[in-house]
Amino acid sequence: MKNFALGRYIPYNSFIHKLDPRVKILGIVLLMVCVFLNFTHPVVNDAGETVKATYWTMTAIMQGSVFVLSILLLWISHMSFRSVLASLRSLWFTLIFLLVIYILVPTQTVMQLGLAWRVEAWNWSVYWDSFADAGKIMLRLMNMLMLTMVLTGTTKPLDLTYALEWYMAPLKVLHFPAAEVAMTISIALRFIPTLLEDSMRIMKAQSSRGVDFAHGNILKRITGVTSLIIPLFVSSFLRSEELANAMECRGYDPRAKRTRYRLLKFGWRDIFGFIIPAALLGLYIWWSVDSSVFTQFVLSGVVLP
Amino acid sequence: MPVKFADVSYVYNKKSPMAFEALKHINIEIKEGSFTAIVGRTGCGKSTLVSHINALLNPSEGEVIIDEFVNSADKKKRTKKLKDLRKKVGLVFQFPEYQLFEETVEKDVAFGPKNFGMKEEDALKAAHEALLEVGLNEGFFKRSPFELSGGEKRRVSIAGILACKPNYLVVDEPTAGLDPLGSKDMMDLFEKVHQAGTTIILVTHDMNLVLNYCDSVIVMDNGEVAKITDPISLFGEDIEKYSLETPLLYKLVKDLNAKGKDIDVAKVKDISTLLDQLRISKEAK
Repeated sequence: MKNFALGRYIPYNSFIHKLDPRVKILGIVLLMVCVFLNFTHPVVNDAGETVKATYWTMTAIMQGSVFVLSILLLWISHMSFRSVLASLRSLWFTLIFLLVIYILVPTQTVMQLGLAWRVEAWNWSVYWDSFADAGKIMLRLMNMLMLTMVLTGTTKPLDLTYALEWYMAPLKVLHFPAAEVAMTISIALRFIPTLLEDSMRIMKAQSSRGVDFAHGNILKRITGVTSLIIPLFVSSFLRSEELANAMECRGYDPRAKRTRYRLLKFGWRDIFGFIIPAALLGLYIWWSVDSSVFTQFVLSGVVLP
Repeated sequence: MPVKFADVSYVYNKKSPMAFEALKHINIEIKEGSFTAIVGRTGCGKSTLVSHINALLNPSEGEVIIDEFVNSADKKKRTKKLKDLRKKVGLVFQFPEYQLFEETVEKDVAFGPKNFGMKEEDALKAAHEALLEVGLNEGFFKRSPFELSGGEKRRVSIAGILACKPNYLVVDEPTAGLDPLGSKDMMDLFEKVHQAGTTIILVTHDMNLVLNYCDSVIVMDNGEVAKITDPISLFGEDIEKYSLETPLLYKLVKDLNAKGKDIDVAKVKDISTLLDQLRISKEAK
């Protein structure tokens, strides 16, 4: 429970910290799209037909590059790798789960990587493609996690909300309550640390009453968790009531026109923050549409399996 | 055996830009059977300090020794059986009413003893005793803790710790937010527990309580121990620099002496001792 590195703002003064939050959101979204692209190439299947199938070499290289880029971004923004690794550590279970699913239900139409092993008795074969599939999803997950960490680790929650509000501004024409939604999000974000603090405090209080949150049998641990959750519920309801009262006392009107103390401004850095992810996404889309270009450019001279 | 802090430091958010050294090389000893106050301005590390006694925090440097238990910066030296330690040291946090969660008051109070291995019936019996001790009668046993008033909730949560029968009782601002009568009842309760042989460590801002109840004081300032002394000699000094306020009773006695009375200020702890001293000085005349 002590590891809340994921998604926490860490105040440094790096290039990425200084980027405009609006550009950062856009840039990260563009890179996320890169993560979710599929790369296929035509393959002849057992029946002699040409079908589209995952291009493993290309997928590995393209997703690997995003991985390297994410690590680079984390490094630029001074995030500690240890905290990243610590949050990835809990993913091993996901990996096993994925492996089991992919082995039981192979998704590939054409097996290109060969047979891993075969159980003659059950007439059941396991292909390396299943492992590659699980690996691909894992890599995607990690890329996604790291990119999100870059965004939330370098942007103050409030700045994020302002940026979201800015993006939602055009929806105001359709009477979409952009300001209210932004307010709700910023309140939610504002209370994450408070709730964490509360839960730490309650955990401490219950620990001194002999609750062991980390050890003991399931039943004991369930009581332990209940002793944490119920007080947490009670205190968050109290807090929300207090907050609502405080807002009303100060005459908060969601529809009022309001001004900002902190104004967001685009700077020269933001040009890079936009152009680099955009160019990368362009390249990725181009190559994913036509993988032969990739084969020509990147793999020319390399012997393909 | 005492509670001993040997060169203890504690850093919050270590190795990050938000790192904050809350305790700096603390060396103190809290004697068994004492009623010790820990005082100092807000944010000086009092609560961090007491969390170490219960091993809720592990020191970044140095070690805390509580009887046979060791809470050390060195993982290998640390005592593994935290449950035994926590049974021995009861810690009542600031605003403890937030820890209530059970359906009934008695169940909530019995929660601690049950965790420490007591049987259901014994735990309930201990709960009933503790509840009577804090001044909540049978009528409260079956009620939901959430429908009680703030003061009653606080009593329930303190009973929850008392029911575990700790040898050391650490209380963090037990009177915060209570009315004057409620605070007095609360403190008299701790005095009673102390008389019964429990060592009490009281974290507070209220110097009146320190004068009335405590026999030794640890003054903290900015993460360091500024002074280890007893209440009377503490109030004889300039304590404004620790943002502490001289107790009203002490001021009164000083003012009376300034007007010509001759009262031994070291012997005045509360109203009844003041009366005794007045009588003595009258007889002397």
